[in-house]
Amino acid sequence: MSLLEIKNVTMRFGGLTCVDCFNAHVEPNELVGIIGPNGAGKTTVFNMVTGVYDPTEGDILLEGKSLVQYKPYEVSGMGISRTFQNIRLFKSLSVKDNVRVSFIKNLDHGYFSTLIRPGKFTAEEKTIDDKIEGLLEIFDLQDSKNELGISLPYGDQRKLEIVRALATSPKLLLLDEPAAGMNPTEKVELNTLIKKVKDKFKISIVLIEHDMKVVMGVCERIYVLEYGKKIAEGLPEEIRNNPKVIEAYLGDTHN
Amino acid sequence: MKSKLTFLSAIVLVYVINLFSSSIDPYFYTILIYIGINIILATSLNLINGFTGQFSLGHAGFMAIGGYLAIAMSTYWAPFFYGIFGDNDFGHNMTFFCVIIAGGLAAAIAGLIVGVPSLRLKGDYLAITTLGFSEIIRVFIQNMNVIGASQGYRGVYIYQNGLRDIQAHDELTNIPFTFYGVQKFTNFFWVFLFVSIIVYFIYNLINSTYGRGFLSVKDDEVAAESMGINTTKFKVSAFISGAFFAGVAGALYGHFNQYLNPEDFNFLRSVEIVVMVILGGMGSIPGVIIAAVVLTILPELLRGVSEYRMIIYSLLLIIMMLTRPQGLFGIRNPLTKKTKSNKVKADIEP
Repeated sequence: MSLLEIKNVTMRFGGLTCVDCFNAHVEPNELVGIIGPNGAGKTTVFNMVTGVYDPTEGDILLEGKSLVQYKPYEVSGMGISRTFQNIRLFKSLSVKDNVRVSFIKNLDHGYFSTLIRPGKFTAEEKTIDDKIEGLLEIFDLQDSKNELGISLPYGDQRKLEIVRALATSPKLLLLDEPAAGMNPTEKVELNTLIKKVKDKFKISIVLIEHDMKVVMGVCERIYVLEYGKKIAEGLPEEIRNNPKVIEAYLGDTHN
Repeated sequence: MKSKLTFLSAIVLVYVINLFSSSIDPYFYTILIYIGINIILATSLNLINGFTGQFSLGHAGFMAIGGYLAIAMSTYWAPFFYGIFGDNDFGHNMTFFCVIIAGGLAAAIAGLIVGVPSLRLKGDYLAITTLGFSEIIRVFIQNMNVIGASQGYRGVYIYQNGLRDIQAHDELTNIPFTFYGVQKFTNFFWVFLFVSIIVYFIYNLINSTYGRGFLSVKDDEVAAESMGINTTKFKVSAFISGAFFAGVAGALYGHFNQYLNPEDFNFLRSVEIVVMVILGGMGSIPGVIIAAVVLTILPELLRGVSEYRMIIYSLLLIIMMLTRPQGLFGIRNPLTKKTKSNKVKADIEP
């Protein structure tokens, strides 16, 4: 069974069909890319998968269970996590606390035990602390753990978003343009980072990206969207030579 | 553990100071009590406005609910309470404790009722809705005769035949009655007991993994929701907790003045509390406490120049906002303390 199955999904905003009859599947421990020109509906697909929008038609299944009609926080509880195209870190929280927020959904203690603070509470806080430190260490962010998240350099902010998403212990991680605004060196680092995440955490990753170096470098399978329609699907080499894809990206070759 | 210890020692300190309260000048004593009540109000609103980022202008409404319910209970049901606890110091204090909690709970329930539908709104819209709510409460009280309507409430006549009324009836004067006025139950101990409780409560709530959820809701709702946080639950629970303590403050206020008037809870009261939160720095516990103290004392200091008092007060607010728009303590968030190693690093790197 596929981890994620997107079945005939259509999203309309009024008269605008943003995603049209999109089909896709993601297997366990697979790295899938979604590419396409601006406005092709890539982020809309992410928003439907994470529950921000409910698709007008079609169904989205995670391990056979429909995700439609669930709220984003419930979808996150089922094991899907994401990063954002424009970085959305919590601006008043430190690096550590940005990651800490992801642990809230699985907390054993709640509102009242924060006040009484029984032994169990302290123990759980300690475990979470250790987990955060561990994660930050994997991603080389431990030196700046007490700084504000938004005071980090741009590349590290992107990294922190990935760490924060991973801290929710997802089965599926959605990365929305992780290389946006990065310089070439950072992009190379990102490539290795994404591969590392996939291997170390044994999760599936779906990646939206414009940068072909990143996409071709890491993705095992690629979907191409244009005007909400899927125009191609396949291995990176197939996509690279697909005339339809070239046309979508570079325009018509003949006049 | 450390916070528990601080909390307990604070309560002991409050108790000890209370033993000497009779030697404090009554004028200063009054100001001291008002400072305490304002700290409770401002810190509880800080949880809603500062930490959770939901701009509420309805705090006076919650205060009114708690205050009126408490003074009505402690007078209408005085025979009942004194029957259980006895008509002595102990009985009075127990009665007071019960009505404070009841007032707080009533305000909390009101917070739930107002919060669930209106917290779907954001920013200005939420502010207007909560403002409307507190005005509705005030107008409602203004028309409730059992608690004195627009004349205010100071106590109840309980006749021997069981009739209760807020006025002595001429036609009933041959029936013996007792007047149960609102007692001056509020003292230094009670006020600062609750000040300690709320500061302990908010400090512990925010400084926990769970409590960081409130800040994440303020910073970015979309991201918080994507990280598995039920933002509605956090917003409503902040609203309910804030309302509870506003109700408590109302109960303390009513039992200090021994009288409540609907005009005590008008729009200006809500604004006053919001100003304390903003001036102190949204989301800073010490900042808001200091702002509550300063803004309670300031009008008193300016009494000497009575005609110009409100002008100077407003000017000072404007100047403070211009020079420190982030509030007194806005920049140094107690939650993101810089560690020593960071400072050293900052020194090395130009």
